[in-house]
Amino acid sequence: MIELRAPLSGKVWKLECKQGDQVQQDDPVVILEAMKMETELFAPAAGVVQEIRVKEGDAVEEDAVLLVIA
Amino acid sequence: MRPYFEKMPEFGQPLSERQLTSSAESYEEIKAVEQALAAEVARVQEAGLPAKKINDRGQMTVWQRLEYLVDPGTWCPLHTIFDPADNDYGTTGIIDGLAKIQGKWAVVVGFDNKVMAGAWIAGQSENMLRVTDLSKRLNVPLVWIVNCSGVDLPNQELVYPDRRGGGTTFFRHAELQKLGVPILAAIYGTNPAGGGYQSISPTILLAHKDANMAVGGGGIVSGMSPKGYFDEEGCEALIEATRKFKEVAPGRVEIHHGATGFFRHVYETEQGVLDGVKDYMRKLPAYDPSFFRVAEPKTPKFDPDEVNRLVPFNQKRTYSFPEVLARLVDGSEHLEFKPDFGPDIYCGLVKVDGFLCGVIANNQGFLPKGYPEYADYPGIGGKLYRRGLIKMNEFVTLCGRDRVPIIWFQDTSGIDVGDTAEKAELLGLGQSLIYSIEQTDVPQMLVVLRKGTAAAHYVMGGPTANNHNAFTLGVPTTEIYVMHGETAAAASYARRLVKEKDAGKPLGPIMEKMNELVKKYYDKSRPLYCAKHGYVDEVVSLPDVRKYMQAFAGSAYQNPKSMCAQHQMILPRIIKG
Repeated sequence: MIELRAPLSGKVWKLECKQGDQVQQDDPVVILEAMKMETELFAPAAGVVQEIRVKEGDAVEEDAVLLVIA
Repeated sequence: MRPYFEKMPEFGQPLSERQLTSSAESYEEIKAVEQALAAEVARVQEAGLPAKKINDRGQMTVWQRLEYLVDPGTWCPLHTIFDPADNDYGTTGIIDGLAKIQGKWAVVVGFDNKVMAGAWIAGQSENMLRVTDLSKRLNVPLVWIVNCSGVDLPNQELVYPDRRGGGTTFFRHAELQKLGVPILAAIYGTNPAGGGYQSISPTILLAHKDANMAVGGGGIVSGMSPKGYFDEEGCEALIEATRKFKEVAPGRVEIHHGATGFFRHVYETEQGVLDGVKDYMRKLPAYDPSFFRVAEPKTPKFDPDEVNRLVPFNQKRTYSFPEVLARLVDGSEHLEFKPDFGPDIYCGLVKVDGFLCGVIANNQGFLPKGYPEYADYPGIGGKLYRRGLIKMNEFVTLCGRDRVPIIWFQDTSGIDVGDTAEKAELLGLGQSLIYSIEQTDVPQMLVVLRKGTAAAHYVMGGPTANNHNAFTLGVPTTEIYVMHGETAAAASYARRLVKEKDAGKPLGPIMEKMNELVKKYYDKSRPLYCAKHGYVDEVVSLPDVRKYMQAFAGSAYQNPKSMCAQHQMILPRIIKG
C-alpha cells in the first residue's frame, strides 16, 4: 500500500480519480490548491485507488494522507 | 568541444492522451487570443488608403515593398499593433521587424505610405527608438524604406518635440554609425523636413527616380503670413505660391543625385531600389553561421505546436517548464546548470539553429521539501527565492564570460516577501541580478510566458531594467502587472473594509470598487493591451516563439562585437563538473 500525502497545506481543489480506479504511476489524481496555485499531484505508483480520505473542498495539513493506492 | 555540444542530453516527454484531452479548453482559449490578435494585425495592415489606390498611382505599398525585399519565410514582425499614443490612425505609421535580406539578418523598417503619406505621427518616435535600439543591441544593419511626408502638422506637439521625440532618430543614426552599424535607406516619394532628415541620416541613400528629400517642402517654402493671421489676400498669395512650388518640389533627383550626389544611386523602378538594397546587403560584413555554430541545426524532437497544450491559460494551473523548452530547442537537448541548487529557477545551455544560447526561466509547481532553506514555509514555483537568485546571478555572469546570448522566460509572481526573506538578502540579490546582467554585454531576449509581475519582471531580463534586452515577446498567455488584481484590491481596500464593518455600514460599495479594480487589472494586463502599449514588442503564438529565437540567435551571432573561443568556454565545464 502506498500513500499519497499533501506536500504542503492547502485545499483539495479537485479529485481526479475515484475509489476503485486503476491508475498508472504519474497519473494526476488530485489537484491541490495551495499558495494561490492549483497544482496536480500524481500517483506515486501504479495500482488501484483503495481509499480516498479527503473530499473536494477539504482543507488539509502538510503530510496529511490524501489517498491510498494498493 | 564537440563532445559537449554535438549531442547534449535529451529532455522532455511525449504528450500523454490525458494531456491532450485535459488541455482542450485551455487550447481553445489560447486560439481565441490568437484570433483577436490576427484581427488587430489585419486592421493595421489595412490602415489608411486602400492598397489599390497606391498601386493605381504606380507605387507599391510598404507591405509590398517589404515582401519584395526580405528573404521568404524570414520576416519576424515587431511592434505591429504598437500604438502608445492611442492616435487617430491606430498605428505608429511604421512597420518593422527582423528579417533576412540576401541571407543576412537586418532590422527592417518602413513608413506606411498608406497612412498620411508616411507622416510622422504620435507615438512613432517611440517605435523608432525601439528599432534603433534593436539594431544597436544585435549589431545588425538597419534598413529603412523611407517614404515620409514629415510631421503630422495638426498634432505637431505630440510628434515633433521632447527628449524622445521625432528628431532623435537622426542622432541615433549617427550613434549607430559611430558603433559601426550601417543604415541603408530605400527612398521613395516626397520627403520634406522630418522626411528629409529621415532620408539624409542613413549611411547609403538609394533613391527612386521620383523621390525627393529636402530641409522643407513646398508648403514651408511658401513662408509665414506677414500679418500674423490669414485673410483673403493672404490666402490668395499662398495659393499662388503653392501652385508654383507644387510643380517643383525641392530636393529632387536632379539636385541630390545630379548636384550634391547625396543619392548614391537612382533607380527607374520601385523594385530596382529594393534590388539596390539587396546589393548593398551582400556587401556588408557577416560571419558565416558555421563560424559560431556548436552543432548542425536540428528541429526539436517534439512539435513546437504542443506548447499550446502545455502552458495552461488558467494562470493558477501549474506546468513543467522543461517540457515547454524541449519543444523549442534543437533536438530537445540541453545542458542544465545546477539542477539541484535553487530549484525555483531553470538555467541551461541549449542550441537554437546550432547556436549556443543560455536559457533562464521560472520552474513551476511545488518545490522540494526544505526549500527555501531560510524559511519554515514551503516554496512554490514562480516565486524567486535566495538560491534561485544566486543561481541566476552566476549563470548570467558565466554567459557573459563565455559570450553566450541569453533567452529569458518569465512566469513569475515575484520575489519572496517578509522579514525572513529580507534577512535572506532577497532585496539585495534581486538588484545584484540587474547588476550582473549589465556586466554581461551580451544580447538577450525575453518571453513573458505567463505572469510578468512585481520586481521579478524587471530583474529577470525585463526591458525596463537592462540595456541588453533586444526585444520582449508576449504570447496568448501573457499577463503583465505589478501584482495580481485580487492582491491589489485586498491591499488597497482591506483597512477600509474593517472601518466600514466596525461602523456597521454595508460592505457592498467597497466590494464593488474592489471588483472594479480586479477587472481593471485584468483588462490592462492582457496580451493585446501589452502589445499596444509596448510592454512587449510583439505578441506571437506559442510555437512561433522558436522562430523568434532563431532570428535572435542568428542575429546575435551574425557579427558579434566580441567572442569566446568554444574551447575557452568555462560554463559547459562547470556544468559537467
